[in-house]
Amino acid sequence: MSLSDFLDSLQKLQRDAQEVFATVTSQESLEAARVRFLGAKNGALKEIQKQLGRIAAEDKPQAGQRLNEIKRSLADAFQQAATLLEEPSVADGKAVAAPTLPGTPLKLGHIHPVTQTIEHLKEIMGRMGFATAEGPEVEDPWHNFVALNIPEDHPARDPLDNFYLATAKGSVGEEGSQLLRSQTSTVQIRVMEVRRPPIRIVSLGRVYRPDDPDATHFPMFHQMEGLLIDRQVTMAHLKTVLRVFATNYLGKDVSIRFRPSFFPFTEPSVEVDFWWNDQWIEFGGAGMVDPAVLTAVGYDPEQVSGFAFGLGVERLCMRRHNITDIRDLYSGDMRFLSQF
Amino acid sequence: MIVSWKWLQRYLRLEMSPEELAQRLSLAGLNHEESQSVGADLAIDLEVTSNRGDCLGHIGVAREIAVLYDLPLSVPDPQPAAVGPAIGQSIGLEHHFSAACARYTARLIRDVQIGPSPDWLIESLQSVFWKKRRDGSLESYQPINNVVDITNYVLMESGQPLHAFDFGKLRGKQIIVRPAGDGELLEAIDHRTYVLDSSVCVIADQLQPIAIAGVMGGRSTEVDAQTRDVLIEAAIFSPLSVRRTARKLKLHSPSSYRFERRVDPAGVDWASRRCCELILQCAGGKLAADCLDSSPEVPGQPAVTLRWSQLPRVLGIQIDQAAVQQILTGLGCQQQSSDATAVAWIPPSWRHDLTREVDLVEEVARIYGYDKIPEDVSIPVAASEKRRFDVAAEQLRHVLTAAGISEAMTPSVVIERLDAMVSPWTERPALQTQIPMLEGARHLRRSLLPSLIQSRAANWAASNTEADLFELAHIYLPGEKPGMLPSEQYCVAFVMGSDFYVAKGVVEAILRRLGIAQHPVVVPEKISGLHTELAAQLRLGDRVIGVVGQLDDQIRMQLKLPAVVVLAELDLAVLLEHSSLVPQFRPVSAYPSIQRDLNFIVQESVRWADLQNSVRSAVGSELVAVRYRETYRDPSKDGENHKRILLSVDLQRNDATLTGDEADLMIARIVQQCERQLGASLLDAVQGK
Repeated sequence: MSLSDFLDSLQKLQRDAQEVFATVTSQESLEAARVRFLGAKNGALKEIQKQLGRIAAEDKPQAGQRLNEIKRSLADAFQQAATLLEEPSVADGKAVAAPTLPGTPLKLGHIHPVTQTIEHLKEIMGRMGFATAEGPEVEDPWHNFVALNIPEDHPARDPLDNFYLATAKGSVGEEGSQLLRSQTSTVQIRVMEVRRPPIRIVSLGRVYRPDDPDATHFPMFHQMEGLLIDRQVTMAHLKTVLRVFATNYLGKDVSIRFRPSFFPFTEPSVEVDFWWNDQWIEFGGAGMVDPAVLTAVGYDPEQVSGFAFGLGVERLCMRRHNITDIRDLYSGDMRFLSQF
Repeated sequence: MIVSWKWLQRYLRLEMSPEELAQRLSLAGLNHEESQSVGADLAIDLEVTSNRGDCLGHIGVAREIAVLYDLPLSVPDPQPAAVGPAIGQSIGLEHHFSAACARYTARLIRDVQIGPSPDWLIESLQSVFWKKRRDGSLESYQPINNVVDITNYVLMESGQPLHAFDFGKLRGKQIIVRPAGDGELLEAIDHRTYVLDSSVCVIADQLQPIAIAGVMGGRSTEVDAQTRDVLIEAAIFSPLSVRRTARKLKLHSPSSYRFERRVDPAGVDWASRRCCELILQCAGGKLAADCLDSSPEVPGQPAVTLRWSQLPRVLGIQIDQAAVQQILTGLGCQQQSSDATAVAWIPPSWRHDLTREVDLVEEVARIYGYDKIPEDVSIPVAASEKRRFDVAAEQLRHVLTAAGISEAMTPSVVIERLDAMVSPWTERPALQTQIPMLEGARHLRRSLLPSLIQSRAANWAASNTEADLFELAHIYLPGEKPGMLPSEQYCVAFVMGSDFYVAKGVVEAILRRLGIAQHPVVVPEKISGLHTELAAQLRLGDRVIGVVGQLDDQIRMQLKLPAVVVLAELDLAVLLEHSSLVPQFRPVSAYPSIQRDLNFIVQESVRWADLQNSVRSAVGSELVAVRYRETYRDPSKDGENHKRILLSVDLQRNDATLTGDEADLMIARIVQQCERQLGASLLDAVQGK
């Protein structure tokens, strides 16, 4: 007999015996199990022990050591079963089936609710032909501001409203400086710089703004940005896409409305609301891509046009799961994470 | 911007209800925040976007209402009578800072009677200047005196900030617009002293600064009960200069707010005349003829051409030409010329934001109503492929959650102590933000592991002892040269209880699930922050996939984590390069396999990976599996520094039954290969099953 087979049979014996000892419900069945596995004459362990003689001499110490380990472990299992039987709850002698007892817990990990929301959004937008795109989180002012038509004197560039990096080169907001992006619109620029229309993308990712954390603010959050560029794209297309999106996300036919707003990178710019549960709910910002943005990436605004929209992922996620404090999302606390 | 329901009615008749008006304004660009009863009046709070400085006064809002409801608008035309000698005989103007001040004007009124303001004026100001206390009650505006109250009134009427100086307190006969000296001091009317520098624009007399331009006046020239002569300033200060100054001094005022959003270049003079007219009316006095004015010529706005074709091109709807003309005219645009296809419009002076065709398209759309745009047009279908990255990320999450590990999201910027804890990817110092993100955190993380270890510790402190966590996010590796954008690497990392081999097993499961056929090379390495022996770098070819290891005991104890913590971090880009996400079927052999056990005695320094490689290299496709069984040490028999490694091999052919002789031959080759490459010796004769 090979050493490997010897070890395998020991392991199998241990598995079987432990299962049986763990489920004995009476002194009789305990005794039967003892005889079966640990019996001095024909017990299963004894049977295997007899094979030891057939193991090659060199392998014997190794096999013997393992045998002793298993023997100890079986003796322990027997002791434990005997102790349990003496306790009164199980000691009344009858095997009681108890199907209402809880099942053995399966330890499964949980997927973060923001990931779940992002996957949901990507899936809905994917069905409308929007592919996922990504760009870097550390950006230069060209992609975060200039190409998005945010001029140098614009408040959005203020060093106190952005996480600029402490780099040696370039003063804040100017060429050579770097910052953690304040919006995912940067991805629009990155995509348009290397591709020609038609374009249909969504970009999802982390963005950063120096807000003091409270129940609804966190200096890091996620945005979804959609972009469609083609010939003859109008605001009617924008409204249609957003309505279909809302209907898909909220699960029944919803209407939407536009309120005029202002963003440097879209013109006209609008705030978008959904009519849901008898009230208007703010969804995010949208608009027709500003001709200056199209020009900045080398498109001819007389030939192509498009729309863009952006929304906060956390807000959708929190509303969907009834989460009331955004800080919980980034706490890493199992009491929070294990609920999703 | 808070507007008073009563005040608005000085410019037009409001026949709709306040609720309806608020709703209509919201849908035209002035978002209604809330309404508040103030005495018998109603204060309506409207959110004004940063491009619409013209709506930061009642007249601007009234103009919007007039267009929306097609109502006649009546705006006062102030013509205060000048009776005194020309202002130039009393004071001159020097302008040395045109970058910060595009236009500076001043008028002089002598012999005013400073006193309380009339009731209508006080009520108007009380409707719009109030603060809500915590208990919901209102802290109302405290009237100052007739002259100062009037400057505030005209501010809220036109959106043009004004300032009144006590002329008698000026030193010398010049008003000077200049940069402040570095370290120059000014006590403002809020009784605080500000330290200025040369980036700040000040208004000065010949002795000292008397106002921080566009932000706040100085105390030394404040109008008080003894004041007889007042100098009324109306100016245009540049948005950037005012914003920088207000920010630097942490001094924000209704004036700075409006200058930051641009004032009407033509409205400056109107506001000055209006202010003087009201002072003469309420406080008497004699207005000096003329006006100090640094740039009396107001440049006209260039015409903007709107092609009729652009409205449907952008909006997707046809709008009647007469309606378009009515809207733009109502907003103050003047038609300069037109032909069959387009009209050239001159925007009004207060609309600096109308410079391009698309700006006019937006104006038409927002007044005409976005509700007229359909939401059910047809859109061509387009393909959208799911990225390999997303497919892989989904698989990763499947494996990790099945392993009982939960996904966390932790901040990308960490404190220095975390940054220093483990950094398996780079030795270059982390990039840092100029301002901290959270609790002093400035370091862009170079590894996800420290955040997860910290989260595990925080969980443990809160008695969650089973916090097995993973995260999938970017790390930021500093570029080779300063100024380069960092290399952002998508990583997946996890921390868990259990032991090293379980962590390694999770990593191996990930590789298998991603279809990475190649076995990674495991390079035991000293990795700072990890256990000196239980830590390894994993490589595929010449690329590093990541690390797996046990957390250093000392770090663990510092974090008050009593039990062993194991962890791993993998580079997703490298995983993707090697992965094959569409599993390919391989035929299952119909012929039996033969299992053989081999018990090798090897030097202690020989690693399993070496032995496995030697075994594999000895046999071809017939070798289906090599399995590790166990290691055994018996120095008395095998000598010091030796160990026995027991392994099993499965041998099988796809095309026929493997014979015992063939198997023996292969086993012999394996033994030979292991002997030659590793000095391994077989313990006993090959044993068949």
